[in-house]
Amino acid sequence: MNIASNNLKDKVVNKAISSLRKNKRIEQVSIPAIAAELDVSIEEISSFYTTTEDIFLEAQKKDWESLHRFWDRHIKKSKTPGDFKNSFEIFFEKFVDSLSKDADLRLELSCYLPKCIKYRDKNRKRVKQKLKKLINKGWPGKDEKVLERQSELVTILFYGFIDHIVHIPKNERTKILRDFRNMLNLHLQDRKFF
Amino acid sequence: MKVDVKKKVRIIHKAMDSIRKSEKTLHTISFYRIADELNMPFGELTEFFLNIEDIFLNEQKRVNQKLEIFIEEGLDAAKTANDYKELLENLTTEFINHLPDHADLVLSAAFYLPKCIEERQRAKKYYRTVFRKIIKRGWPGKIDTVLERQTDLLLLSAYGLYEYCAKSGKRERKAIQKDFVNMINLHLQDRLFF
Repeated sequence: MNIASNNLKDKVVNKAISSLRKNKRIEQVSIPAIAAELDVSIEEISSFYTTTEDIFLEAQKKDWESLHRFWDRHIKKSKTPGDFKNSFEIFFEKFVDSLSKDADLRLELSCYLPKCIKYRDKNRKRVKQKLKKLINKGWPGKDEKVLERQSELVTILFYGFIDHIVHIPKNERTKILRDFRNMLNLHLQDRKFF
Repeated sequence: MKVDVKKKVRIIHKAMDSIRKSEKTLHTISFYRIADELNMPFGELTEFFLNIEDIFLNEQKRVNQKLEIFIEEGLDAAKTANDYKELLENLTTEFINHLPDHADLVLSAAFYLPKCIEERQRAKKYYRTVFRKIIKRGWPGKIDTVLERQTDLLLLSAYGLYEYCAKSGKRERKAIQKDFVNMINLHLQDRLFF
């Protein structure tokens, strides 16, 4: 895909989001209206997206795939427990940094549109697997059962964190991120886990 | 609005089943179709609920009201720090017990349907106030900023737990609840908070 196509895709996503912000109703976001506003043909947009749900699904995938690529690079380079802890922490940092100004709406759609929910559930499993690997290597010595339970809890907390952070102003996000990471660290230091 | 509980429950279950089977977005489900599937005249159906949003709002409020009654009674009865700690622990059990099988659909609606979003925001505000009070009385001696920060962390954790439980079976919900409470206890024991 070339740069022009990518730019157009981004413009379509932004238009769809701003239309949703204005009208509050997804049924009022239409591909013909977006095409008219962007001064491109409907066919041009339809070659990327067949429905409005597709627009939001692709945007969701793009955000997460980029985050996974970043995360995987760090995980790959990790050798010591310290490195793995760092990869664990840097993921949350990157996540917060990369949130768009429309992160609240994007989250809401990912929890509402059926295809987006499916992707969200699938991605959640992927996130959990990576967190499990990092906990295992970053805080070694935990038995499998503890590892599984702690990975589940960290994933639960992370998804609660997402819901919280997209609804607060950007300047407050860093503060809660620090507290959130400290809370997870305290929890993971417990090798035997209760 | 009619108060024929049995009929109301039948409508709710049918609507949820129909939505789950269709894999459609909630707002596109035809209210006429639900009346049809229930073998109920459309006019009778609207004596109970005005539209799909109304059904979801009713479900959302039903669980919230039960929990709020439990919380208010618990707060009235609590005298010692231990009472408040117990209230928080019991609240998570109560929450899990009241979550219906279709909690995932109700959660999904709470991210999009306007009245459900409003109810979600109201409930979140209420829980924040309650959590702050419980932490203050159950783990006394925290300064105000610590109290604020820990309240936010507890709130986001609780919403993470909600999402997980809404999508899990009853057995998984119970298993995670114990770990969740232990983790929160560990976190709140930290008087000065990092």
